[in-house]
Amino acid sequence: MGQYVLSEAHKQTPITISPFHVSNLPDGQPWTEFYRTSAGILLRFPKLADFEVSADGALISSRPAPGIPDATVEHLYLNQVLPLALSKAGKLVLHASAVELDSGAVAFLAEAGRGKSTLAAAFATNGWRFLTDDGLVLDPKDNGYLAMPSHPSIRLWRDSHERFLTADAPAAPPISYSSKARLLADSDLKYCNEPRSLRALYCLGCGTASSVSIERLSAAESLVQLAKHAFLLDIEDRKLINTHFDRLADLAERIPCFDLDYPREFSELPGVRRAVVGHAMEAELS
Amino acid sequence: MDLNRTFNISPDVTSRALDPEVVILDLASGTYFGLDPVGARVWQLLSDGKTIAEVYDLLLSEFCVSRDVLEQDVLNFLSDLEKKRLII
Repeated sequence: MGQYVLSEAHKQTPITISPFHVSNLPDGQPWTEFYRTSAGILLRFPKLADFEVSADGALISSRPAPGIPDATVEHLYLNQVLPLALSKAGKLVLHASAVELDSGAVAFLAEAGRGKSTLAAAFATNGWRFLTDDGLVLDPKDNGYLAMPSHPSIRLWRDSHERFLTADAPAAPPISYSSKARLLADSDLKYCNEPRSLRALYCLGCGTASSVSIERLSAAESLVQLAKHAFLLDIEDRKLINTHFDRLADLAERIPCFDLDYPREFSELPGVRRAVVGHAMEAELS
Repeated sequence: MDLNRTFNISPDVTSRALDPEVVILDLASGTYFGLDPVGARVWQLLSDGKTIAEVYDLLLSEFCVSRDVLEQDVLNFLSDLEKKRLII
């Protein structure tokens, strides 16, 4: 992994060039602005921090805005910037949580708010171990992929926190732009700190299913889903995009991918766990 | 449409065959398109430089479908690909 340098707080000054890409919040406000610089790519999180990623993705430097807590900067780094930088460095990184199952791993892919962290917590508080709650890094190996562990914490909204863990469960300091708690791994929230062979990918549906539903996707459908859920820092670098496309196609061909949908009720989660465990253990996935 | 016409895949497009389907990535817009097995076969024939007439004849020999239906479906498909600037 590359080098990370945290600089002194610095007021965000206007940038004279236009961003080549802007990622917006659901309310339309800019969340991340992407600027090309002579050294690489500058990521601006308005009023929070700037991060500069070197052209090879190996060096990241951050400049927080004045008054922004270290925990917020660290959180932006881990959840937003590092996955993008890893993609620039040639790694395959997905918007996915992952849990260990029978010495392998399964991943849950979804955009924000679909329940991938809640599902990971539902496993990690009931005897299984989680590898990551987002930003899943996949390393190719001879005949498949390794799911890599990341930060030993899971971010949960208050209702999920109260459902799975006690109010005094260990947590990282709060961050300034989200009320989600970052709950730290411990004996009640079990974490797997070793790579695990990836057995299956599950794309979380929008919760319209009346019961737990698992459907196999074709390789082409899988590739489209994987592309939707992959981190990619430089969306203008055609060479990088082609390589990225090849990697995703290889993943789609090697690892089975499924649609997983279920009603978004806490009471459904034990059934979802049973269904996923049973499904992933089926012989054709091993 | 001129049945002797051939198409080029747009230079803004890359595709991957995932037998029997194809996924197309439009690099200009970052949009992905999935093609079913029949669409994938047409895409392959276009990539090989076949004329529209050749596409018709080859598909008629491979699929159980009437010429009228096939020609209309292929024309609609080509029109869609052109509108999306995936072929030129």
